[in-house]
Amino acid sequence: MRDILSYFERDMLRWVRGRLAVISALIMPAAWLIFVGLALPTTFTDNYIDFITPGILVLTMLGASLQGGSLLIFDKILGFLNKFLALPSSRESILYGKILFITTRGLLQSTVILLLALLLGASFLSPFSVVLTYGILALFGILLSAFSTTVALYLSDHDSYAAFNAMVSMPLFFTSSALMPYAVMPSWLAALAYWNPVSYAIDAIRALQYGVLAWGRIGALVFLAIIVVGISIVQFRKVTL
Amino acid sequence: MIPIETHDLTKYYGSLCAVDHLNLQVGNEIFGLLGPNGSGKTTTVLMLTTLLRPTEGSALVCGHDVAREAQEVRRSISYVPQDMAVDIKLTGRENVTLFAKLYGISRRDETIDRVLAMMDLSSRADDLVRTYSGGMRRRLELAQALVHEPKVLFLDEPTIGLDVAARRKIWEHILTLKSRGMTIFVTTHYMDEADHSCDRVAILDHGRVVAVDSPSRLKGRIAKDIISARISGNYPETLPEGVDFLGERDDEVVLFSSDNGSEKVPVLFRWLEDQGATVHSLSVREPTLDDVFLALVGSREEGSGFDDHKFRTMLRRRS
Repeated sequence: MRDILSYFERDMLRWVRGRLAVISALIMPAAWLIFVGLALPTTFTDNYIDFITPGILVLTMLGASLQGGSLLIFDKILGFLNKFLALPSSRESILYGKILFITTRGLLQSTVILLLALLLGASFLSPFSVVLTYGILALFGILLSAFSTTVALYLSDHDSYAAFNAMVSMPLFFTSSALMPYAVMPSWLAALAYWNPVSYAIDAIRALQYGVLAWGRIGALVFLAIIVVGISIVQFRKVTL
Repeated sequence: MIPIETHDLTKYYGSLCAVDHLNLQVGNEIFGLLGPNGSGKTTTVLMLTTLLRPTEGSALVCGHDVAREAQEVRRSISYVPQDMAVDIKLTGRENVTLFAKLYGISRRDETIDRVLAMMDLSSRADDLVRTYSGGMRRRLELAQALVHEPKVLFLDEPTIGLDVAARRKIWEHILTLKSRGMTIFVTTHYMDEADHSCDRVAILDHGRVVAVDSPSRLKGRIAKDIISARISGNYPETLPEGVDFLGERDDEVVLFSSDNGSEKVPVLFRWLEDQGATVHSLSVREPTLDDVFLALVGSREEGSGFDDHKFRTMLRRRS
């Protein structure tokens, strides 16, 4: 546990001291909230900002997690990973450290987006639903950061990671239930969106807005997270160069 | 216990043999692994530090097998790769603290102060590493590597990219560590540094060890003196008695070896002129590890072994 916190502390210090990076990650989700959330003429709801907020919170987490994979890429290119792998501390603690940092950073960024959404007129049912929202976002962050960090372990340079990121992030977002309900989607998109893990998180948060716990969606997220983290641990344990 | 021993240690990347049946015994000393780029130095270090699995053979570090007891090996070693991986947004102290925590050092603050002082970094310890020079960054890496008092320290090209003064300082520190009982396994392609500081060196060529000995004995193997010459025109097929061809350097200086260099210079001069060559300069000096390398491996660029046949074709081409 101490090892995980040490790795976490290192990434956190580096992030906080890189001032530009702290702000830049927030621009995209904030732009979605303002320029789409407030401006898009929708017919299926009177309060689109309420509808889109869960989607943008998950988008924030998605972006933060996929971006997080590049941390390991840089550790690898710059020689840090070699040094860490030659340490007696367990190798999966490197993975856990990354998951902890990337998820924490994502939650901090989500908080800013949530405050902005509230400012723009979004409403949440109760403090309890906000806590559960954080829980779902954290779960989603763990899933995606384990995924991106393990992918990074097998990619050799930053260009190929950027290509992977571009290939995955936008398609995942657009084929989710972030922007519109299943009812107004064309049927092919609705089918795709229903099975998209991004939708699991969005639907679960959206259900909270009505005071409902969507156990099916949360369960699916937990199940996926266990599988992905499990695979990641195995990969980190056996990694050689 | 022998700090490092390897038995037929071999690594293939696909069909390429990077390290070929390496047999080394390293005692409590500064041991240098020398060779041109691509000769298998880093691959060897990666296997000894458990980061790469050997294809064949085995290696023991402090009595533990690198493949089967990786955890025990990692506990007794430190590894400083050649990339200079220190966090520039962190202070020197924070960089060392990270490693002290990861190694689970008790009495952490005391240890951190001690290793920073050892590497002459105390006065700058709380500055961001961004402001450090290359030599300071390398010393910071050494400080990180020393927090858990390793028995064996692996340094991959520790002086690469540093200026002369910084290099000298790094080697002074390495010598101090050895005097405290640490075994140091270092790779380098700077022959002069290895010559001055290593107790023993192994010369690696295409993944194979071509010689292992102390620098002075290796130099003694070629001859007492080296005659270096700039020549153009016809080359002789043969050489005067007591003079041997050593090799031609990349800058077209031809080297001859002799046990009695200063007396052989006039003989060699007349011989070359009689054969129709033009001699621009001849000088005598003591052999260096570079010469040993040239004699054993041939041109550093080519990295191929010396062969007599090739030498003769080269001579004929020139005439």
